[in-house]
Amino acid sequence: MTIALYLAYLLLPIALLAVGAFGESWTNSLLPSGFTLRWFGDLIADGSFRRAFWTSLLVAAGTCAAAAVLATPLAYVLYHRGQQGSAIAGRLLASLPVAVPALTLGFGYVLVFSSDQMPWLGTLPLLIAAHVVLTLPYLTQTLVADLRHLGLADLEACAATLGASPSRQFWTVALPCLRHSLLSGLVMVAALSIGEFQISNLIASFKFRTYPVVLLQAFYGATGYACAATVVLLVLALAAAKLSAQATGAAR
Amino acid sequence: MSIVLEQLGYCYPDTTQGVHALSLEVAPGELLAVIGASGCGKSTMLRLVAGLLPVQAGRVLIDGQDVGAVPAWHRKVGMVFQSYALFPHLDVLGNVAYGLRMQGMDRVNRERAAQRMIQAVGLGGLEGRRPSQLSGGQQQRVALARALAFRPSVLLLDEPLAALDAHLRSQLCDEVRDVQRASGAATLFVTHDQQEALMLGDRVAVLHEGYLQQVDTPRALYARPANLTVARFVGHANLLKATVIDSGRVATALGVLAAETGRRSKGAAVHLMVRPEACRPDPDRCAANRIEGVPGRVRFLGATCRWDFVASAAAEALAASPGATPRSTTTLLCEGPVVATSAVSLAPEELVVLDDHNAGSWRSPPPQS
Repeated sequence: MTIALYLAYLLLPIALLAVGAFGESWTNSLLPSGFTLRWFGDLIADGSFRRAFWTSLLVAAGTCAAAAVLATPLAYVLYHRGQQGSAIAGRLLASLPVAVPALTLGFGYVLVFSSDQMPWLGTLPLLIAAHVVLTLPYLTQTLVADLRHLGLADLEACAATLGASPSRQFWTVALPCLRHSLLSGLVMVAALSIGEFQISNLIASFKFRTYPVVLLQAFYGATGYACAATVVLLVLALAAAKLSAQATGAAR
Repeated sequence: MSIVLEQLGYCYPDTTQGVHALSLEVAPGELLAVIGASGCGKSTMLRLVAGLLPVQAGRVLIDGQDVGAVPAWHRKVGMVFQSYALFPHLDVLGNVAYGLRMQGMDRVNRERAAQRMIQAVGLGGLEGRRPSQLSGGQQQRVALARALAFRPSVLLLDEPLAALDAHLRSQLCDEVRDVQRASGAATLFVTHDQQEALMLGDRVAVLHEGYLQQVDTPRALYARPANLTVARFVGHANLLKATVIDSGRVATALGVLAAETGRRSKGAAVHLMVRPEACRPDPDRCAANRIEGVPGRVRFLGATCRWDFVASAAAEALAASPGATPRSTTTLLCEGPVVATSAVSLAPEELVVLDDHNAGSWRSPPPQS
């Protein structure tokens, strides 16, 4: 019963959006009338949507790359120094962005990066950095959980007896063992990045608006147009997940 | 190819757990089995030898060289972990060749050497399998092959058979022995299973709460345990509270029995150890240490039986003062194909008198060569 209700609450809006995207007109009725592809045509013709589409992909890819490079060593240290004091700093670092509302961070960035010393508000790297801050905790937690599950301590002790120095233990055992959870973690990062609205809306410049930011504009127009734009976002998020999966697969 | 531990000490932070003043020698090619309950320090000892824990006191010598300052990855110590710790991202060949790869051997040579080792443990044809595609016994063999493939000078086995079912365990016991023999590595084999230790070890060491209790050949350990702790841990034993009443005679709940008392003084509180197979069923009337009673529970084990024998004299005494004597002092655990009907005799030469307190200091005999 609960699950049915939950699924209805989750899937019904998505289904309605999908239906709406192909509907001719939709005003004050339960379902739209007529069938058309013109909303998608309008969308493709719209330059700001096209640009936002590619910006979102670029931001997601950059976020994935940076998060992977940061989260892997962080997770490694957290796993190995789980009991020690230095871990508290790491844990705080990894969980704070979850606790702090994204809106708060966004306002903070606006204040800091509109100063004369750091006039970087609206640049692409800053946008990517903000997405990394938001997604890093999720990726780190995934990796730490996997390291515990693998029993990495035993694997590394064994590698040590077989002649592997600590750095070789990392490169030949820890890293290859982590690839699966890194992969699934990055899919999550990509999806989070694609869908992120709060911070992006505050710090993205006109030149580098992400798709969700532009999408908000669509809701001031025709319903079918808004639905079509939302469906594209959904497809984009799924595609990004797929893309990051392939990218990590190829890197190996 | 030898291991020497000298007064080795390690204590986990904020506990008394670890190992204390542990001295042991393992000769080249020798397999020394180490037994003890969990938490007795046996795994700690292995980790100290492997260099996975820092030595806090005493010394570890491998081939006569103090390795205290040598990191684990330079010690050339082959180790099999209880969890096997097979690398999940490598296939069997990759796992076995890992040690040689770390030594910088080129691919062709290391794969040839690994191949030979895989054949030696009977896994030929499975080189391309991932650990997750192997059965428990196969995983165990891969772990053993991997530990030996890079020709370590010593081999450390940490409960290598604990995760296997009983049938496979006894089969692998023999295989482990053969492979270890062929390698010639001085070997420490840690287990909580005393049967495994007696079966495999050239000598067996008993650890209790971090202290070494006794090191001896399996037979000597079984027949002449140095103290109560060893007697309790190795094999089945009836341990009867007793008092020395004369040279060669002790008083127990089963009556006065003849047993070698050594130089113990009259009135000394001791324990008498009676192995189950030392109980002879239905002896002659004049047999020494004859005890009358009735058989209790019989457990049929195939070639032999393990049965309880309730001594009548002791049972009567128990009935007279209920709760005074625990069941274990009136009932003997016996073993043999024939179950006694009315009496058993305890062969005096097979009875061992043990001090209540481990007063006698025990000295390690030199290792066999």
